[in-house]
Amino acid sequence: MSLTGYVARRLLQLVPIAFGVTILVFFLIHLVPGDPARTMLGNHATPQNVALLHRQWGLDEPLPVQYWRFLARIARGDLGSSLNYSVPAGRLVLERLPPTLWLIGLATILAVLISVPLAALAATKRDRAADHVVRAVPLVGLGFPQFWVGIMLLLVFGLHLGRAFPVGGYGSGFVGHLHSMFLPALTVALGITPILVRSLRASLLEVLESDYVTTARSKGLPERRVLVRHALRNAVISTVSVLGVNIGFLVGGTLVVEQVFALPGIGQLMINSIFQRDFPVVQAVTLVFAVMVVLVYLLTDVVHALLDPRVRFD
Amino acid sequence: MHTRRRVFAFLVTASVIAALGAAAAPGGRETTATTPKRGGQITIARIEDSQSFDKTTVFQNESIWITEQINESLYAAKNDGKTLKPWLATSYTKSADGKTYTFKLRPGVKFSNGKAMTSADVKFSIDDARKQSKGWGYLDVAIKSIDAPNPSTVVFHLKYSWAPFLADIALFANGIVPNKFAGQSRAQFYKHPIGTGPFMWDKRTVGHSVTLKRNPFYWQKGKPYLDRVTWTFVSDENTRELQLRGGQIQVDEFPPFNSIRKLKQAAGIKMTLFSSTRTDYLLLNEKYAPLKDVHVRRAISQAIDRKSIVKSVLFGYGSPANSFLPPQVPFYDKNTPGLQFNMAQAKAEMKKSKFPGGFKVQLLVGAGAQVENTIGQILQQQLKQLGITVEFKQQDTSTEFQTIQEGKYQMGFSYWTMDIADPDELVTFAVDPKGGASSFFTFYSNPTVTKLSHQAQRETNTAKRAALYSRIQRLAAADANMVYLYYSPFRWAYTDKLHGFYVQPLGNYHLEDVWLS
Amino acid sequence: MGAAAETFAEAVVIEHRRGFRRRWYRTPSFVAGVSILGSIVLLAVLAPVASWHDPIQQDLSQILQSPSWDHPLGTDELGRDVWARLLFGARTDLRVAFLAVLFPFVIGTTIGLLAGYFGGWMDTVANWFVSVVVAFPFYVLIIALVFALGSGTRNIYIAITIVGWVSYMRIVRGEVLVAKRRDYVLAARAGGLSDTRIIGRHLLPNVITQAIVFAMSDIVLDILAIVTLGYLGLGVQPPTPDWGKMIADGQTYLTTQWELSTIPGIAVVITALGLSLLADGLADLLRPE
Repeated sequence: MSLTGYVARRLLQLVPIAFGVTILVFFLIHLVPGDPARTMLGNHATPQNVALLHRQWGLDEPLPVQYWRFLARIARGDLGSSLNYSVPAGRLVLERLPPTLWLIGLATILAVLISVPLAALAATKRDRAADHVVRAVPLVGLGFPQFWVGIMLLLVFGLHLGRAFPVGGYGSGFVGHLHSMFLPALTVALGITPILVRSLRASLLEVLESDYVTTARSKGLPERRVLVRHALRNAVISTVSVLGVNIGFLVGGTLVVEQVFALPGIGQLMINSIFQRDFPVVQAVTLVFAVMVVLVYLLTDVVHALLDPRVRFD
Repeated sequence: MHTRRRVFAFLVTASVIAALGAAAAPGGRETTATTPKRGGQITIARIEDSQSFDKTTVFQNESIWITEQINESLYAAKNDGKTLKPWLATSYTKSADGKTYTFKLRPGVKFSNGKAMTSADVKFSIDDARKQSKGWGYLDVAIKSIDAPNPSTVVFHLKYSWAPFLADIALFANGIVPNKFAGQSRAQFYKHPIGTGPFMWDKRTVGHSVTLKRNPFYWQKGKPYLDRVTWTFVSDENTRELQLRGGQIQVDEFPPFNSIRKLKQAAGIKMTLFSSTRTDYLLLNEKYAPLKDVHVRRAISQAIDRKSIVKSVLFGYGSPANSFLPPQVPFYDKNTPGLQFNMAQAKAEMKKSKFPGGFKVQLLVGAGAQVENTIGQILQQQLKQLGITVEFKQQDTSTEFQTIQEGKYQMGFSYWTMDIADPDELVTFAVDPKGGASSFFTFYSNPTVTKLSHQAQRETNTAKRAALYSRIQRLAAADANMVYLYYSPFRWAYTDKLHGFYVQPLGNYHLEDVWLS
Repeated sequence: MGAAAETFAEAVVIEHRRGFRRRWYRTPSFVAGVSILGSIVLLAVLAPVASWHDPIQQDLSQILQSPSWDHPLGTDELGRDVWARLLFGARTDLRVAFLAVLFPFVIGTTIGLLAGYFGGWMDTVANWFVSVVVAFPFYVLIIALVFALGSGTRNIYIAITIVGWVSYMRIVRGEVLVAKRRDYVLAARAGGLSDTRIIGRHLLPNVITQAIVFAMSDIVLDILAIVTLGYLGLGVQPPTPDWGKMIADGQTYLTTQWELSTIPGIAVVITALGLSLLADGLADLLRPE
């Protein structure tokens, strides 16, 4: 089967998942105790507003009808209207998407730059001091909450060490973004590094112990060549799949980090909307996050398939 | 706080309102010998994002303070807050019966679109504002009609003689917009309003920032000094402080109390406490049987060590409250003793009550609201000595006030900031069970106090009125209608390169006077 | 919690499953893990003896004190002894973390067993649920759920359970799929044993190891999730001390008294270390065959 066919089939498999995702997002509102419209509106719960929301969300109708309407709206690209700002929630999310995408992209790159060398070091120097250190340090990192790490980075790099990086904000222009986003991206990356290092080390060890590496070694190939020729390719494959699996964790980290670094992304939008009980926006952001993650899964699969000859397109 | 403001707006009757503004301490006022410099831009980091720029309907301070840079009123409060000064008008005359006001408009005032302001604009603006029944329109109910006999004259006809008229006209809600919204729809217009103010609309990222730029047509020659002002929303207080210290922002709104001392010592930073009209209370809901007992309420009020709270929670930047009125409001009686901390008396009161053995009570606390949580824990400990077990009921800060408003709480926190500097606004709200707010939602009712408050509304003799308000404050304090906790200032930290920044007791500021060196 | 911890646990198990030669620190890692966790539990149990202050006793004249003989770790914003709060906090946190893991563990393991063993529509439906939940970033879903349900301990448990069972299900299901082709299961089936008996007696003991190993990492990440919810203002803030509340409360003082939220942070880290070592050791000790 061709790559296109493979991608098409994977896309098709996404259909039931997409259904599930929309159902879950749809049902969020029905988890709200009491009359969701009243609760959601909070201080804005004038009878007119409540009635308006009831009409908008069709809350008086049977659930399947409500869900069908919700789907139809999403299909039209209508994610509802922000209660707080009276603008389309979809537009709000789109406006705020770039910083989050930057953050995720940069964090992914940093995470790879940090964890791959560490994992390789640990795997090749197994059981030696370096291995123990590499394995222990991430464990310590795992215990610290990301907001704490973020503020500490701000304190150290943003203030004391010559104010090397801006304290919060998104910056402007490519270089500006890169400069401003470095610390937040580093925070997100540090959050996932313990997991990546540990996992990569394990899969590298697996590769190094595998038959074909042993064969290569027995053929008298120099160790360096064994590592580069055989181990590296597999290491890349492992990295891609490990990253893919953990993208949900990485993306979730942006929520907290955007808050700490005052980045105008969709994570901040979500938290902010939660405090303002702006339900349509919370729904929209949740949906967009899920779409992002599902797309990354798809991308990972495709990249994996391209890289790994063992994966056939079937 | 918009939640509070909103409710007040709906409930408070605009009966006897005297003058806008309030007494301001001189501290913090800029006195610089150097001449202001033109140019530069500043960023103000805030605790909340703005909701709307429709000044006639918005109740959120974070929105109002920005609209005030765009839309100006005919009169404005002076920095001392006690009096008003001509602004877009130059003068007014009042008819003998007090029912007709004639304003002369300031010549040479232009909107940011270059068009000159005329009486037609004024008539349109205030006619529109008073139509907004869900907004601040209730303050304009005394107005019968508005005439614009010639381009520089506006005549207001009132239904009855109304003392606070000028204060009302000075309110931001009665700011001037172009006639017929310069050809736009109402909704469209308020997405990027046009006004005569020092700054005009530039751009906005919803949920994150708002930027205004210099209005080239501003009527005060040479002002504003700044090219641009950006308001950002930075929820984390540590980040706001670090941004200020790192030079990313120039103004940090409301740094937490614990960082004030450090900020005062920080090089390059000016930490200023502006006197405010804010008073914080502990509300005791009388629908909950034990709290209906006056002895219990007196006991609670006397069991709370306000000095310790001010010292440990406000780090000394505030003072214990002795009345439900703040010191910045006329007729505040500083000699009202209030029920102060006295554990022995508290215990004696408790013995006299129907609940000598104590009881359990729920305290409503905003989730994540640091100050409320800390004070709540202090109360928990101090009331334990009376046998009162305080249980926390955590609630979203956005729904917390709604719960109080619906009377579905036992004890809760709330505060008041004045919109207008006459005590009646607050007195009616706090002690009149029929005043619309069920006595600050505590359901407190003392017919004597209520009657006195009605008398005070009608009393025109200042000395007699003062005596009435003193009696009200004393009686209410003896009843422990609420627990008065403390008065606290507005806290602003900004770079020492910033000059002319001054916050009035109601919380607003004039950015046209601000410049960067 | 989520794929991340799963990856982690998987790595731990893979390292052991591949049958590397037994190294001297392998079993010691179990010993070390047990010692660390044991000490924490012991300190929690002995909290009233190991600290000489009441963890909730305020002293407003002694707020934000630096460490001294009387207050080995100083005092917090209400003048309470940080050391005492740390010890009593361990009680709260160990309980909360245990409960937060218990429900997902039981639910996920059960569904994983059934789906893996019976396959068919049951497996399809279970997998569909899994792929839907996994499509959401962990924090996004937790926060959205806590938002909808309202904050509070109970709702945090519910949210963590809704999101967390998925990992246990995937792990156990994977193990069952392997195990059910093994001789002993095939033999039991041929011998006419009931499904219940096969699942309970033969499968469960063999597939539970991975789930237990995973639970160790899960606990750490659950503690972090609860702490993070606290930071975002969505957490539980009971009057009793707990590390999450201590970190979140101290957060206001990060630029002045950074140690206030760092000390409980270190407590979480030490617990994490203990749990990871324990996971390591368990993977080794409970290795099938």
